[in-house]
Amino acid sequence: MRRRVLVVVQRYGEEVVGGSEQHARLAARRLAERHDVEVATTTALDYWTWAPHFAVGTTAVDGIPVHRFAVASGRAPDFKAFERHVLFEPHDAADEDAWTTKQGPHAPELLEFLHREGGGYDALLFWTYIYEPVARGVPLAPERSGLVSTAHDELPLRLAPYRSLFHLPRAIGYLTPEERALVHREFRNEEVPDVILGTGLEPPRAHDAAEFRRARGLAGPLVLYLGQVSEGKACDELFAAWAAFRDRHGAPAATLVLCGTVRMEIPVRDDVLALGRVSDEEKLGALAAADALVLPSRLESLGIVLLEAWQVGTPVLVAAVNPVTAGQVRRAGGGLAYGTPDEFAARLTALLTDRETARQLGARGRAWVERECTLGAFDRRLDELVDLVAFH
Amino acid sequence: MVQRYGDVAGGAEAHARALVNHLAPHLAIEVATTTARDYWTWENAYTAGLTWVDGVPVRRFPIERGRARDFRLREHRAFAAGHSLADELAFVDAQGPVAPDLRDHLLAHGRDFDHVLFFTYIYWPTLTGLPLVPERAVLVPTAHDEPAIGLGVYRPVFHAPRAIAYNTEEERRMVHRRFNNERVPGEIVGVGVDALAGEAMRFRQRHALAGPLFLYVGRIVESKGCRELFERWARWQDGSPQKATLVLIGHREMTIPERPDIVHLGTVAEQEKWDALAACTALLVPSVLESLSLVTLEAWAASRPIVCDASSPVVASMARRAGAGLAHRDAAEFAAICELLMERREIGEGLGRAGAAFVARTCTWPSVVEKYLDLFAEVRARNA
Repeated sequence: MRRRVLVVVQRYGEEVVGGSEQHARLAARRLAERHDVEVATTTALDYWTWAPHFAVGTTAVDGIPVHRFAVASGRAPDFKAFERHVLFEPHDAADEDAWTTKQGPHAPELLEFLHREGGGYDALLFWTYIYEPVARGVPLAPERSGLVSTAHDELPLRLAPYRSLFHLPRAIGYLTPEERALVHREFRNEEVPDVILGTGLEPPRAHDAAEFRRARGLAGPLVLYLGQVSEGKACDELFAAWAAFRDRHGAPAATLVLCGTVRMEIPVRDDVLALGRVSDEEKLGALAAADALVLPSRLESLGIVLLEAWQVGTPVLVAAVNPVTAGQVRRAGGGLAYGTPDEFAARLTALLTDRETARQLGARGRAWVERECTLGAFDRRLDELVDLVAFH
Repeated sequence: MVQRYGDVAGGAEAHARALVNHLAPHLAIEVATTTARDYWTWENAYTAGLTWVDGVPVRRFPIERGRARDFRLREHRAFAAGHSLADELAFVDAQGPVAPDLRDHLLAHGRDFDHVLFFTYIYWPTLTGLPLVPERAVLVPTAHDEPAIGLGVYRPVFHAPRAIAYNTEEERRMVHRRFNNERVPGEIVGVGVDALAGEAMRFRQRHALAGPLFLYVGRIVESKGCRELFERWARWQDGSPQKATLVLIGHREMTIPERPDIVHLGTVAEQEKWDALAACTALLVPSVLESLSLVTLEAWAASRPIVCDASSPVVASMARRAGAGLAHRDAAEFAAICELLMERREIGEGLGRAGAAFVARTCTWPSVVEKYLDLFAEVRARNA
C-alpha cells in the first residue's frame, strides 16, 4: 500500500558524512520507489557546529522533496563543560533537558512544521535518538512515529529527554539485535513492536585485487583496516596488538594496510602502511586483496565495513568487547572475535595460515550478506516498519 | 503525584486522597505534591517538606510559578485554530503549577518506586513528570472533552504511561478517539464511595427547610454549569405553582441569585452532606464537562436520582447506564422533570434504587482497590 512518509533527520544530503545520515538517505531513496516520501531536516552540513550550509526551504535531492529548517542555535560554545557537569556532577532535570538543546541542532521551526503538518503523513520516520529534532519531535505525534534510534551504550542515553522517547513510537527500527537488547534492558519498552532493519548494499562493482597490490606495491599476506584511523576507533589498541603479534618469534609475515583519514600518529614500522583515504573503487580492490579485515572499534552501531568485506568473500576479525560487531560475526559466521592481545595474535595467525578455514569464513560471510543485506531484503524490512507505523 | 493534596477542594484531589487511603493498607505509599491549596493561583500555602496526612507521608515541593497573570490570553492563543507549538508550551507554563523541585524529585527518586500514580493529565507536574518514569507510570487522567485535551503537547502523557486507569467507560472511549492510544493498557477502575447514613429530618430542622428540596453539591462556578442551573431554576419556579427549594452546598465562586427559593449553605461537614442527600428529591448535576461526577455516585449511594444535562457525555451516559437519572435538553424539560419527580415520588424512588444497585455493583472500595492492585501487578510484571 502506497503511504505518505516523512523522514526526519538532523542532516541530509549527498555531501553529508555520517553513518546514521547515510542510512536515513538510503532508506528515503528506497522507500521513495514505493511510497510518497519527503524529508524534514536542518540547514546543517557539519555535525559539530551545525553551521548553516544549505538554504532554508524545499529542494529536491535524488528527486525527493527535502524541507530544510533553520538552525536557531548550533552546538553551544560551553557544550563540553556543560556535558561534564550533566554527566558527572550533581545537577537537575532542567540541566538534562538543556543538554539536548546545547548539543544542537536546535531547530524550533522544524518542530513547528511537525506540529503543523505531521498529521498529514501516514508515517513519520525519525533517525538518531540523541538529537533534538527526534527527542522533541517524536512526542509531537507518537501515534504515527517510527524511530530508527541508532543507539549505543553511552551516558547521554540515560538523560531525561530520552526516558520516554523509546516508549512513545508506534514502532522502532533497530540496526542490530544488540541495539534492541540494549534499549530493552535500559528502558523496558519491549511492548513497542520493532523490526531489525540492518541495512542494504548495492552489489559490489567491478574491482581488481591484483591491480590494488600492483598499484600499491604490496606483496604477501595483507591485513586491512578500513575507516577513520583514530583513537576513538581504538586504532591505538590495534597498533599495540599488531606489534605484539608481529614481534613474537615465528609470527607469519603480513602487512597491516590502513585505508582512511588519519587522525593519530601511526607507528613507524615496515609492516604498517597508511594509504590515507582511497577511492570507492580502490576500496573494493583492497577488500578483495586482503586476507582479513580487522575492526578493533569498541563502539559501533553497525559495522558496514564488515558487510562490504563479506561481499567480496574476505573474513573479518573484530573486538569481542563490541557486542554489535561480535554479534554480526556470530550471526554471519564470517570471521572471528578476539579479547586479549594473545587472542588477537592467535586468531590472526589462524586466518593467515589456515587458508581453507579462512576461505570458508569468507564464503559464509558472503552467503549471509547475499541473503540479508541486499537492497530487496532491506526494502522488505523498511516496508514492515512503515506498515507497523502507518496510522490507521 | 498530584498537584494538590490534603484538605483541599476539588474532585480529582478528593479522589486521589480517598484512593491513597484505601491503597495504603496494601502498599508502602508516599505522596508527592506541591505546597498549593488553591487550584487557581497555586499560591504557596503549605510548608514545603515532609508531612503526614491521614498517616501517609506527603512530600510537598514549592511552586516556582503559579498561574500567570496573562493566563487567559495564553489559553486563548493555544485554543485558537492554527496555533503554534510555542503557543501550547506557553499555555502549559502559564497554567502552572511550575514546581521544578517536584520534577527533580521524580528524576532522582522516581525509579525507587515500583509504581508512580499520576493524577490528572492537564497540569505541569504530570506533563513534565510522567515522561521521566514512563515504564512505571500509571495515569489517572480524569479527562473530559475540553479544549486543552486537543493540544498536541498532551499526546506523550497518553502514549507514554505503562497503564491508564480510567474512571468511566465514557472517558476511555473519548481518550481513545482523541489519541488512538489503544495500545496502552487501560482499565476502567472507577472510584469507591464511602457512604454515610443520612438523616433527612435533622437536615430540615437545622436549616428550617420545608417542602420539596433539590440539591446541588460542588463548586458554585460557571464552568460547572451553575449559570444555566440558576436560569432554568428561575424560569421554572417563576412560572409554576409547584414550589420547591434549591439547596446549594459548596464554595461560591460566582454570584448566586438572591431568591427565597435558593439557599446557599457553603461548605459543610461530610455527615451534613449525606443528611442533605437523604432530604432531597433529587440531586441536580448541571455540569457538562465532567470526567466522573463523584457526587452523582454519592446521590445514588443514598438512593436518590439525579437530574442532569443531556449534553454532558459522561454524566448523562452514566445515568442512562445506571437507569438512575433523567436528562433535560432545555429549560422546559428541566421544569417537567422536576415536577414529575415531585408529583410521582415512586418514579424518583425507583431511579434511586437503581442508582444504589449500580453503586453497589461498581463503586465499592474493595473492587476499586482490587482493580488498581491488578494494574500494578501487570506493571511490575513488565518491569521484572
